[in-house]
Amino acid sequence: MNLVPFALYAAAFIGYALHFARRTTLSARLATTVLAAATLAHTFIIGMLTMEVGQVPVFDATSAISMFVWLLAVAYLYTEVTTDERAMGVFILPLILALQAIPAFKASAVRSSVLRGPVFGIHVSSLLFAYASFALACVIGITYGLLFKEIKTKHLGVFYARLPSLQVLDQMNQRAIIVGWVFLTIGLVAGVMFAAQSQAPALSLEDPKIIVALISWAVYSFELFAARRIGWAGRRTAYLSTVGFAVVLMNFVLVSYLTSSHRF
Amino acid sequence: MRLLLVGISHRTAPIEIRERVDFQARGVELALRTLASRQPGGAGGEIAVLSTCNRAELYLACDDVATAKSDLVAFVSAFHNVDADAIRPHVYDVTDLDAARHLFRVAAGLDSLVVGEPQILGQVKEAHTAARQAETAGPLLNRLFHACFAVGKRVRTETNLGSGAVSVSYAAVALARKIFGDLEGRNVVVLGAGEMGKLTAQHMKSQGVKQVTIVSRTLAHAARTAEAIGGAIAARWEDMDAALGASDIVITATGAAAPILTKARVESVMRPRRGRPLFIIDIAVPRDVEAAASEIEQVFLYNIDDLQASVRENLARRAGEVERAEAIVDEELGKFATWMRSRGVIPTVVALRQSFESIRRAELDRLDFKLSGLPPEAREEARARVDEITHLLVEKLLLTPTEQLKGLSDPEMASLYAEAVTRVFGLEESEPKTENRVEPFRPKSRPASSPGRPR
Repeated sequence: MNLVPFALYAAAFIGYALHFARRTTLSARLATTVLAAATLAHTFIIGMLTMEVGQVPVFDATSAISMFVWLLAVAYLYTEVTTDERAMGVFILPLILALQAIPAFKASAVRSSVLRGPVFGIHVSSLLFAYASFALACVIGITYGLLFKEIKTKHLGVFYARLPSLQVLDQMNQRAIIVGWVFLTIGLVAGVMFAAQSQAPALSLEDPKIIVALISWAVYSFELFAARRIGWAGRRTAYLSTVGFAVVLMNFVLVSYLTSSHRF
Repeated sequence: MRLLLVGISHRTAPIEIRERVDFQARGVELALRTLASRQPGGAGGEIAVLSTCNRAELYLACDDVATAKSDLVAFVSAFHNVDADAIRPHVYDVTDLDAARHLFRVAAGLDSLVVGEPQILGQVKEAHTAARQAETAGPLLNRLFHACFAVGKRVRTETNLGSGAVSVSYAAVALARKIFGDLEGRNVVVLGAGEMGKLTAQHMKSQGVKQVTIVSRTLAHAARTAEAIGGAIAARWEDMDAALGASDIVITATGAAAPILTKARVESVMRPRRGRPLFIIDIAVPRDVEAAASEIEQVFLYNIDDLQASVRENLARRAGEVERAEAIVDEELGKFATWMRSRGVIPTVVALRQSFESIRRAELDRLDFKLSGLPPEAREEARARVDEITHLLVEKLLLTPTEQLKGLSDPEMASLYAEAVTRVFGLEESEPKTENRVEPFRPKSRPASSPGRPR
């Protein structure tokens, strides 16, 4: 079922690439419409699953990734509508596509009865939303770096012509990091509470998932601190947000499939 | 009615002539009123005057193009008090679709000195507004100008003809916008009280920056320049570092032989700024800022050569967009040509409607006689009803024939239809005598004149 949004996301990617090259009103509308259609189809699938299981439909890494992709698409569409800035789409869509490929071509595992309840719901959805925010911050950080390089080296080219100003990118990056950090914190606290409640043996510092999650929390906390206290701005925070997301992605995709401690 | 353009521009006339034929200086409104009273090319003509620093053009819709041409040159000569022989060699005149094509290209920025410059569309709009206010614009010129606005808008949105700064101060502002986004609330510091620095600062000021500070070795010079810019403040040379610390954009334009801002000095200025970016524009020759200063994180250093290189690149990019813009001009000219052709049948349509209306009126008069026996109130009511019904009937009967006639795009076919309608309804007597010479649309070639509509 996840194939339909996958195909639509692929079409949206083509739309955004086309818009990046041509920059006409028509291509802009086309790209946004296709992405909105893809997100809507994805919403429908997630909505159906939610009704079927009666809770947040996340039971394993694959379903978590599908949920993550959906949140990322919604978050991106929100940014696009509020800022009327479409240049970022061509950078976000490849990430969406690559991740959506997993649920599209891999079926979800059997559901566990342990993974239920409101605390578990908060744990999972907060973390997924945090990851989506970090993904946005990462992409914005990369585009910041590209534009920064063009202006600094005086080779004004593609990105100079298409991206919004450094100031705007920096603000967007900061905002995404703050939102992500808040949800990451909530998610981690909810995780501790859920583990205590269900008396699962998972909560230990030997769990690589937890260690890596704490590392990413540390990275983003440092980034917020550095931006406010040491005056780290622009390129440095942009780099940090890509490093932070690399850690998140490693945790989310690699650790999920390579270890068995946390199911996802 | 035909379209005529008579004008001079930067392509045909040197600045000395253009200066003397400046309608803005003498008043476009006065020119329009004078022209309207002279009636070049016969009565009932439409006139618009397009005047910029690079062109003076008169657009005329009239019946007699040949007379109008010499009338217009005589008018320009008299209005500006310039010898007609002095301007005649620089004057160009084009008619009908060629005139329309010319205006479309002008509105698109294709005929500008700097291709794609954005101001021209606004100036064309002003020309149309002035003509409307002076009541010298009629259906033909209104349609022509609206069509050219569409061209200008499409070229702006669908091509990159106007993208990229093509002057050094625009390039500096464009860069500042890419770094800071909005320039409102930004502080600008200018080192040096010379002309170059003043010009760039004025440009920044017009972009809405919060504060412009002039720093010069002589405070009196700085104060004078600050006053000339308006709203700027002057600062002493010794206070330069403090001013730099509070600034976002620094323009250096001193005549100093050695760099004033060394890397070390910029570093010390940057330290308390906590990562706030600094954009330094060095327009001085020799340079005022040490090149190594650009190595500092969050410092963006551009000198005059860098800005000029960006301007050259943008000009080259614009040249590549010309073809796409010309295609839009062709497309819109095609639409305008169809409209022009449809105007060829308008006298026939008007005559047809007049004929139907006169029949209706005659029947209403006869009805009055028949109704004379009724009491006055009943008579009035009956007449009003019949008037309303017959009016609607005539409108409905004529709707399809009118649309069909106006929709004919082939001029040969249009004149055949007009002829047939004229004969069938016996319109020869009532048809207004208006000459309509509409040439077929031929892209990028001067249309040959075709014979008038057979009568």
